[in-house]
Order: sequence, then C-alpha cells, then structure tokens
Amino acid sequence: MNAFMPAAAVQQQFDDAPQQKEAAVLGMWAFIATEVLFFGVLFAAYVTCRWRFPLAFVEGSSQLDFPMGTAETAILLTSGCLSAIALRQIQLNKARQSAVLLLVTSLLGVAFLVLHGMEYHDEFKEGLIPGIRYLETGPSAHEMELFFSLYYVTTGFHSLHVLIGVVLLLIMALRTWRGAFCAQYHTPIEITGLYWSLVDVVWIFVYPAFYLVGNAG
Amino acid sequence: MTQQEIPTLRSQLLVLGGLLILLALSAGLSRVPLGWWVLVITASVAVSQALLVMVVFMRLKSGHPALRIIAMLAFAWPLILVALTLGDYFTRSLLHAALH
Repeated sequence: MNAFMPAAAVQQQFDDAPQQKEAAVLGMWAFIATEVLFFGVLFAAYVTCRWRFPLAFVEGSSQLDFPMGTAETAILLTSGCLSAIALRQIQLNKARQSAVLLLVTSLLGVAFLVLHGMEYHDEFKEGLIPGIRYLETGPSAHEMELFFSLYYVTTGFHSLHVLIGVVLLLIMALRTWRGAFCAQYHTPIEITGLYWSLVDVVWIFVYPAFYLVGNAG
Repeated sequence: MTQQEIPTLRSQLLVLGGLLILLALSAGLSRVPLGWWVLVITASVAVSQALLVMVVFMRLKSGHPALRIIAMLAFAWPLILVALTLGDYFTRSLLHAALH
C-alpha cells in the first residue's frame, strides 16, 4: 500500500494490495469464463442451424449491412486498444491521460451502439425481424427466420454488454480524472479493461458468423 | 503474482494495426467466391484476432499461469459442446440406416 492508496481499498480478508489485486483479476477471469459459456451456447445453436440450412444463412447474411458491420468491428478493436493503453498510462502515473483514453473508449462504445441501432432500424424497415415485422417470402424465408432470430439474440445480448461496458468506462474515467487511481492502485481500471476486451472478443466471433457468411454455402 | 511489466505503446499500436489488417483480410476474402474456404479463412482470422486481444490487451502473456488455464478452459467447454452437438447430427443418418 502506498501513501495515495486509501486504507479502505485493501479489504480485511487480504494481506496486502497485490494479493487483493490477484484475487480481483482471477475473479474477473472466472466471470469471463461464464460469459464465454453463455455466448458459447448461442454459437453452438448457430453452428447447428448453419449446418442444417447453409443456403438460408448465406441468403440471410447477404441482407445484413456488411460495411456497417465492418465499421463496427473496427471501432470495437480500436476501443479495445485504447482501454489497454489507458491501463498502461495509469501504471505510468499519468492519470489525466488515462482518464481521457477511458472516456474516448466509452465514446467509441457509444458510436458502436448508435451504428448498431441504425442497423436495427433499417432491418425493421426492410421487414427482417421475426415475430415483429418479417416480410421475407420465398423458399428459404422460414429457415432465414432462424438466422435472423439468432442474429438478434446474439447481437442484442452483445449490445447489452457494450452498454454496461460504456457505463463502467465512464465511471472509471470520472474516478481516474478525480485522482482515485494511481500507479500503485488501479485494479478497477484493469478489471473494467478486461470486461471491455471480453466484449471485443465476443464481437470478433459474431462479425464473421453473421456478416461474412458471403459465399460460404 | 509478480509485478506486471508495462507494455510499450509501440507494441500496443502494432497489435491494433495487426488486428485491423486481419479485419480487412477477412472482410475482403469473404467477398471472393471461395465456397466453404471462406468459413475456414474467416474463422482462422477470428481465432487469431481473439488470441491477439487476449494475449496482449488482456495481458495473458504476462499474467499468472492460472489465468491462462482459466482462459483455455473458458473456450474448451463451448468447443466440446459444439463438437458433441455436431457429432449427434453427423451420426444420425448412420444410426438411422443401421436401425432400418
């Protein structure tokens, strides 16, 4: 513990700050494992459906906004890098830089949500939402409902995770700006960065699964 | 756990550059009529990108070995789930033929 670190920051069940940090990071990774399992079930459903109805998935994927999906991926990858640099800067005791980077990361998260919301809006107008407004006809229309159902459930839960991440990043940016963290104590920033990277990793698999089916019959 | 080393800014930006190049590669090749190879290529790129993020941005490389074990297990269970589910689908016709 250092002079800048509040005594209450080390809970009584831990010997010292490094031990508390080890436990926090380990706990976060255990949480990440449960999240991977959650999305893993959705991917298992995706693999099964795609195996059974390959042409419907090609047709469904071709209806999605490929440039928008690619831009969203680039935004998330960049934001993941910025959150990692924010952690680096606080380790170097550059709190203000870290706070700004966390703020920019959260703004990129907001940009992702706005773009995805625009996609949902366009898809609603085109009648691609099963159970709400589905106007597809043709031989593969029924099987394509499976594709779009999986798409909305997976991307919907992912967007929920992005929204939670944006709120966490904003809180961290504010606390960092106010001087709550320093080189010796920055565990909450590290934990938030891990969460944001999880959001990143999930999207890395969502993007090719739904947007890049392309010619892979 | 030992004190974590602080990565250089250059290494972080290089990884971001690599991730964006992989994204361009994946997006570009998905437009080429390569059949099922598109799936192989895009899946391989996705695995590479995820590994880069986890090893560098999530600092698995410099983290405690227990974290790497948890990370591997986290992805092992869904893989087992997918393998067993597909195994069921692959063998249904065989079982059906054997029973009739």
